[in-house]
Amino acid sequence: MYPEDVRYTENHEWIGEEDGLYLIGISEYAQEQLGDVTYVELPEVGKHVRQKEPVALVESVKAAEDIYAPVTGVIVEVNESLEGEPELLNLDPYGRGWCFKMDDIDTGQYRRLMNREAYEKYLKSL
Amino acid sequence: MEVKKTPLFECCEKAGGRFVDFHGWYLPVQFEGIIAEHIHVRSHAGIFDCSHMGEFIIDGKDQIANFSYLTCSDFLHLPIGRCRYTVLLNNDTFIIDDCVGMKLDEENLFVVTNAGPLEQVSSLLCNSSIRAKNISNQIVKIDVQGPMSLDVLIQSGFSPQISELKYWTGGKYKWKEEEIIITRAGYTGELGYELYLPPDLGVEIWDILISNENVKPCGLGARDTLRTEMGYPLSGQDLLPDMTPLMASMDRFIEWEHDFIGKDKLLQQKEMGNYPRLMGIKTYTRQAPRHNQKLTLQDCEVGVVTSGTFGPSVGTGVGLALLDKQASKPGTILQIVGRPLQVEVSNVPIYLNGTARKKVS
Repeated sequence: MYPEDVRYTENHEWIGEEDGLYLIGISEYAQEQLGDVTYVELPEVGKHVRQKEPVALVESVKAAEDIYAPVTGVIVEVNESLEGEPELLNLDPYGRGWCFKMDDIDTGQYRRLMNREAYEKYLKSL
Repeated sequence: MEVKKTPLFECCEKAGGRFVDFHGWYLPVQFEGIIAEHIHVRSHAGIFDCSHMGEFIIDGKDQIANFSYLTCSDFLHLPIGRCRYTVLLNNDTFIIDDCVGMKLDEENLFVVTNAGPLEQVSSLLCNSSIRAKNISNQIVKIDVQGPMSLDVLIQSGFSPQISELKYWTGGKYKWKEEEIIITRAGYTGELGYELYLPPDLGVEIWDILISNENVKPCGLGARDTLRTEMGYPLSGQDLLPDMTPLMASMDRFIEWEHDFIGKDKLLQQKEMGNYPRLMGIKTYTRQAPRHNQKLTLQDCEVGVVTSGTFGPSVGTGVGLALLDKQASKPGTILQIVGRPLQVEVSNVPIYLNGTARKKVS
């Protein structure tokens, strides 16, 4: 359920490398907890963000939750299809439901995030 | 306090319910998903386990009159078979709970209340002047809601006679040898029926209903989005202990010619006119207002969101808010504090295509 090749935060974001950039989304656990996602507010492209800074907002029928930058870096692209199809976050959180891309990231921070095994252990502790 | 299970707990568990603690009861918040369930109720039929609610029988005309005195409605002169929505009031005409009364016959009134304040309501209704019988533990309540609800019930073995029920009426019907109460009412805005059943029969009927291809089990989540689109208030959330029926925008449910507790104070408030009131609100996008957010008009705080959610049938955020009089006119645009989001004050219902009042016979 949790792809091997991405890293996770305690706030249930995932971040994974693709073609030199870093893709960020929310985990299967996060989408499951949120329920039907109804609205996604995405960050501004070009924005410099610090690790743990709130950069996006996900609203579901039940709740509204911030998405935090998993690492320090620059936002270089956002997933615009989420505006019309916010439910992609539920349907395909590691694929078409990605939220934004970052570049120039702090790779030290990235390496210190949880791998899949550590994240699964973390989920069990909740 | 131990969280209680309704007699339909196993049925809901088997149907894939995800449970939450709602006023001391384990109840399903959702099965397949809130939006899917919501849409199904608006287009087909959904069933809800509402066994957590309170049910009372008031026996005797004097007792019915004494009960009426605690509400803004005259139940003594309510025609047999008619339901009436009302609120239980304290000395200051503040709302204790909202409830529905249905006249079973000249001498008997059936009263349905909420789970939250049930203990307080029970001690009020079972006092020496009303002597209501609290039958909440002997009743499983299943709400069958949606434009197909009547067809589903008849296909499930209910008497075709139930099609004679008009909106907000009810009566006693037979299921095999057992007597049950059915009202044509609900909390969704759709054609719907509320079944009051002995627990064993409740389980049997739930199983029959859920096997119908047009029925989906629905949870508290969909119940909340459906009722919010209709602007129906939720006891304990939109109706608060310092609110009067006028503040709750219940003007049309207040029978002024009837004598009730604290009526002078309520009349005084009506004449003063300058009280905050509960109004519908909607956004212009898919963003939703949220419970307890503050609202401003020209930078002055004018109210608070009491309920807010995404409205799947409306396609925008919807909610209810308690607003100062000067901010309560439909069409007024208010700002949510701390969010880049505006709401427009709206009359209720916000969703206008409900089938609740549909003619079926």
